[in-house]
Amino acid sequence: MISADLNTILPEIILAVYSMAALLLAVYTTKDKMAGLLTWVTAALFLALALWIGFAGQGTTTAFGGMIVDDAYARFAKVVILASAAAVLIMSESYMARRDLLRFEYPLLIALAVVGMMVMVAAGDLMALYMGLELQSLALYVVASLRRDSAKSTEAGLKYFVLGALSSGLLLYGASLTYGYAGTTLFSGIIEATSDGVSLGLLFGLVFLMAGFAFKVSAAPFHMWTPDVYEGAPTPVTAFFATAPKMAAMGLFARVVHDAFGGSVGDWQQIVAFLSVASMFIGGIAAIGQTDIKRLMAYSSIAHMGFALMGLAAGTAFGVQAMLIYMAIYIAMNVGTFAFIISMEKDGRPVTDIASLNMYSKAEPGKALAMLVLLFSLAGVPPMLGFFGKFYVLRAAVEGGLIWLAIAGVVASVIGAFYYLRIVYYMYFGKDQDEALDRNGSPVLWTFLMGSAVVMLVGVVNLFGVEPIAEAAALALAN
Amino acid sequence: MSDGNVFLIIIALLPFAGALMPGLMIRAGRTACASFTAIPTALALTMLIVLAPDVMRGEVIQYELQWLPQLGLSASFFLDGLGLLFAGMILGVGLLITLYARFYLSGEDPMGQFYTYLLLFQGAMLGIVLSDNILLLLIFWELTSLSSFLLIGYWKHLPEGRQGARMALAVTGAGGLAMIGGMLILGNIVGSYNLTDILAAGDQIKAHDWYMPALILILLGAFTKSAQFPFHFWLPHAMAAPTPVSAYLHSATMVKAGVFLMARMWPALAGTEAWFYIVASVGLITMVVGAVIALFKDDLKALLAFSTVSHLGLLTMLLGFGTDKAAIAAVFHIINHLTFKAALFMTAGIVDHETHTRDIKRLGGLSALMPITAVIGTIAALSMAGIPLFNGFISKEKMLEEAAHTVWWDNPWIIGALATLGALFSVAYSLRFIFHVFGGPVRDDYPAKPHDPPFGMWAAPALLCIPVVLIGVMPHLAEPLVNVAAGAVTGVEQNAKLKLWHGLTPALYMSIIAVIGGAILLWLHKPLDRAWIAAPRPEAKTIFDALIAAVVSLTRRMTDLLFTGEISRYLAIFVAASVALGAVAWSGGGLAAPDRAPLPVDPVVWVGWVLLVAATGAVVLMHRHRFRALVLIGIIGLMISSGFVFLSAPDLALTQISVETVTILLLLIALHFLPKETPIESGVGRRLRDGVIALVAGGGVAAVAYAFLQRNVETISDYHLANSYEGGGGTNVVNVILVDFRGYDTYGEIIVLGIAGLIIFAVMEALLNGPAGRRLRNMELSQDRSRDRHPLMMVVATRVMMPIALMVGIYIFLRGHNQPGGGFVSGLVVSIALLMQYMASGFAWTQNRQRIEYHTLIGWGVIIAGLTGAGAWLAGKPFLTSAFGYVHWPPIEEFELATAMLFDLGVFLAVLGAVMLMLYSLSRLARHAGETVNVEPMDYDPVERQDKREGEA
Repeated sequence: MISADLNTILPEIILAVYSMAALLLAVYTTKDKMAGLLTWVTAALFLALALWIGFAGQGTTTAFGGMIVDDAYARFAKVVILASAAAVLIMSESYMARRDLLRFEYPLLIALAVVGMMVMVAAGDLMALYMGLELQSLALYVVASLRRDSAKSTEAGLKYFVLGALSSGLLLYGASLTYGYAGTTLFSGIIEATSDGVSLGLLFGLVFLMAGFAFKVSAAPFHMWTPDVYEGAPTPVTAFFATAPKMAAMGLFARVVHDAFGGSVGDWQQIVAFLSVASMFIGGIAAIGQTDIKRLMAYSSIAHMGFALMGLAAGTAFGVQAMLIYMAIYIAMNVGTFAFIISMEKDGRPVTDIASLNMYSKAEPGKALAMLVLLFSLAGVPPMLGFFGKFYVLRAAVEGGLIWLAIAGVVASVIGAFYYLRIVYYMYFGKDQDEALDRNGSPVLWTFLMGSAVVMLVGVVNLFGVEPIAEAAALALAN
Repeated sequence: MSDGNVFLIIIALLPFAGALMPGLMIRAGRTACASFTAIPTALALTMLIVLAPDVMRGEVIQYELQWLPQLGLSASFFLDGLGLLFAGMILGVGLLITLYARFYLSGEDPMGQFYTYLLLFQGAMLGIVLSDNILLLLIFWELTSLSSFLLIGYWKHLPEGRQGARMALAVTGAGGLAMIGGMLILGNIVGSYNLTDILAAGDQIKAHDWYMPALILILLGAFTKSAQFPFHFWLPHAMAAPTPVSAYLHSATMVKAGVFLMARMWPALAGTEAWFYIVASVGLITMVVGAVIALFKDDLKALLAFSTVSHLGLLTMLLGFGTDKAAIAAVFHIINHLTFKAALFMTAGIVDHETHTRDIKRLGGLSALMPITAVIGTIAALSMAGIPLFNGFISKEKMLEEAAHTVWWDNPWIIGALATLGALFSVAYSLRFIFHVFGGPVRDDYPAKPHDPPFGMWAAPALLCIPVVLIGVMPHLAEPLVNVAAGAVTGVEQNAKLKLWHGLTPALYMSIIAVIGGAILLWLHKPLDRAWIAAPRPEAKTIFDALIAAVVSLTRRMTDLLFTGEISRYLAIFVAASVALGAVAWSGGGLAAPDRAPLPVDPVVWVGWVLLVAATGAVVLMHRHRFRALVLIGIIGLMISSGFVFLSAPDLALTQISVETVTILLLLIALHFLPKETPIESGVGRRLRDGVIALVAGGGVAAVAYAFLQRNVETISDYHLANSYEGGGGTNVVNVILVDFRGYDTYGEIIVLGIAGLIIFAVMEALLNGPAGRRLRNMELSQDRSRDRHPLMMVVATRVMMPIALMVGIYIFLRGHNQPGGGFVSGLVVSIALLMQYMASGFAWTQNRQRIEYHTLIGWGVIIAGLTGAGAWLAGKPFLTSAFGYVHWPPIEEFELATAMLFDLGVFLAVLGAVMLMLYSLSRLARHAGETVNVEPMDYDPVERQDKREGEA
């Protein structure tokens, strides 16, 4: 019995044991000198686990009396999380090393955060959920303030921590109310308790749980930490924040509202729809005035989460599928975009000012073209892949009876197009400037940038077969 | 499906495949490059001609390829009359433009890039007109925006080029995105994204509730693309592009995409009042406004651009009328406009190329110097003016006829009058094009010496003039194409007759008025122009720029307001949002009537409650005085503990009291290193706001808790009460839960506690070596040190109490399993006993008598607990299963021994270790702050004093 349980979470165990063992090893041996190696090994382990989970996983198994669920949905989310985390680790290695930030804890903290995320998306119980969430969050708090000698970075980390703790508290409050009224922390039990309508207590539990999740996915109005943390953290860390944790939090969100409260869609649909609209518009409008590309990406991520939530708001299996596809595409876009932002340097120092991209197409036509593709994709302009993601969620909303939400989404995407295109405009038609960006050619970053851009174009053919996988995943969740 | 149908997809994809060629061929020379651009275009055109006869017979050729079926997206194409007309235009003009551009572009321009973009654009346009799936159409639609962006911005060194490209992209791109929404709604209404299905479901769509939003969103896309008022401003600014681009995109193809879409969607959307009033009115306004502005533009291309805007308005208006005849007129005018306008753009390009200026005021008299160009330009311009024997005349007649018959808002003449006005201005600017460029005397101040260009350059416009004259003289030649295309627009077969002479119709009179009026207007051009320049008029570009700037500054101000970086603001928003969510939940859920009677309230309870509330309120008021706040917090803790006692939870009460004591003691020591008062950092308003938020949030939580208390809810308590003795061998349920039922949790908790202690130690270590350590060394104490810091009384008292406290600790520990107590509490009690020693005799003195390190204590605690748990494995039970038995050792009475006790020992050690480690850390702080180390147990030692005295004696 217990061995079967352990088998179900073997990937998580391997990763957790690996990080602890590596931590001990590094502490007692060469410490930071080992960081580069550890980064690569961790990334390789991520990829290996992603492949393993992706290809070996079959059907639905539950472990520990239902606390952990291993289904197609969890596997989809885990593979995305692992793959994006691996990508970000690989991208960050040289950047962190050159700025003396590559401590051996860095890859291991990421690994621990990833363990937390894997637990989050596989949780079948409020306890397991919280465990995963906190493991993730604690690791992220530390990573956010990794640049300890920078006031901005530590301030960002502290803010993130304080607000994160508050949100955790809120989430716990919701969880305890849910437990109090449902009599169980198991999702399967909660959905039974809600079978004849949601009592007020459960409703309270639900909304506070959702407030906690909204914080984690950085949905408005719980998004305030995002710009500061994105700006303050070292760029590769920002890249990490923008990718894997978003998938994990979104996965968790969908898991809870469907697995535990799937019987009462009407009770959470409007709230999710509200979060979605608020995020799309606040993210979009606030991004317009930004001059720092990292802050811009923060607002952009808020807006994107709004779109992903739109799929969730539909309350249908198709909505979940749309959300999963949207997230997968979003992460692929962000990996490429951040590969570019990480490579932005002037005289060897990182810059994040959008104005520094003036006439970039003259200096580096290839990279500028790749960015053009990515930005158009982020804006959701056909025929880039980003459009398909947007279209999926819009369609899910329309079919879920939320036409007003879809129209709001369309309007928001018009706003969004404005600021993405502004960057394109700078790159292609900006003012000439003397101080151009360095033409450093980190082959790793170049590969990620180009690869991501190519994915945005080639993926149009059949979305790389993600569609049926996401469908299977969504069906595992919402039935 | 015949074999021909496969041609369809090949036609659509050929330009994309071909787009690779020019880039590769550029090394082979400019002519080779242009040829390889022409080949795919020519091939596609040939295939189209092969398919044409079938279409002309009224067949619809279809080809479907599954793409993403779940999304409703399929790569399906169809070719009907309308598609044929547009595809023919796109490919035909594409060929001519390729030829023209070969000669127009100079050697320095990267030609391969240009042709690649051109083919991409051509493919996208073809895709739009051939798509049988509205999603596919959308994709191609935005692709035209993209590729046109690259084409417009082709000459990057021109600043206007950049501005124009940006504006064009911003306007058309945004419109396209809006259209996505419209298409989505349309697909949802019909249940299919196939255009054929949608066109067949016109009535269903028009009757649907969501018809209006869909209509508006789709029209937004069409109007922005076709530069309709008020989005007309981007088109003239896009004219900074090279002339071949202007000729292709901005007269023949891209700007017609909007018109095409309206024509395509005609069966599905047209015919309603909303359609008429929106589309026809916008078209009419655009037509007049465009024509008026065009007359006063001095830039040749700007003149043509506004004239294009005007003609697009004309087409839109015709489609807006929603009648079959108007549709025929529209289709016919599409053909005619294409021919003369493309020719005019190319002519303008030639003039620019030869004279190096496009300013009409610097031109004139070119007919003598460039006779061929002048002839071509004149023919095309006369057609644009609508002079008989040129094709523009006939379609304008038809337009005027329709306008004359249309009633707008009960007004029978307004459309006709405005249409005539538009035509009048149209005549005026057309004539101006002829007379001010080619007419007049030869000047001697041209920037370059003009002469006719090589044949390759004028061949394309000349070819376009052939249909201008041919259709103008023999309009019936165009009949089959117009009928089949109009049939495709309306969905009904059309058999219109096109004739040069219609008799003395109102349209003819209107036409005559327009021509004469136009001529007069041109005659008056000079004074009018002066008045125009002097008159204040809204410049669309400045408005657009100002609008953008205003939006940007507005959003920036909003963002600055919201994202100040202050965490207090973030927290306020966070809490307020949570409260709002709570309110939503409150309003949304049903609440069952309370089914639990309140307990009777004793006076004592009242007193306790009042104390609790008073203390809490006092903390809020006095929290700036840290010491007082601490005292108040102590009171709150005591009251809560008493509450636990009152509610029959002695275990909790015991734990709470010990925890309170330890925390207060540790905080007291910590306060020593902090300022006595918290400075005031926020204004009254802020505090008031925060107070309200806090009160609402707190009140909400209290309300939820109260509602909870009033209702009977099934809890887990019964299970524990029933199973505690049988399963865990203890009668103290709380303790059994801690060490048995939820042993895992406790095990985890002691580890966490241990880690917390260790981390405090570690952080302190790091701090003391850093700047904080330096600050501490320089710290000035706010009060003098006490002369008697280790008073005799206290030392003696704590010494006496030590064994008693230890005894109590052990007692509490042992009885824990059945009575209130347990490892956790006894750990705290023993800690308090030790803490008092430290306080009484100082740290160093006590530390010297301490044999076991605290780190070790924590470690042993965890190990013992872990081993106990693992011991269960030996018995073949799961981790942490407890076993118990009863032992009888005379003379002691029978007592129980449970493995849980051993586990409890672990808890005890870990708690003790952690608390003491924290104390140790704090004392290190003190030493850094200049605390002296005492070697004596007390400052005034009577024994020592006596020894001394005896020694003296």
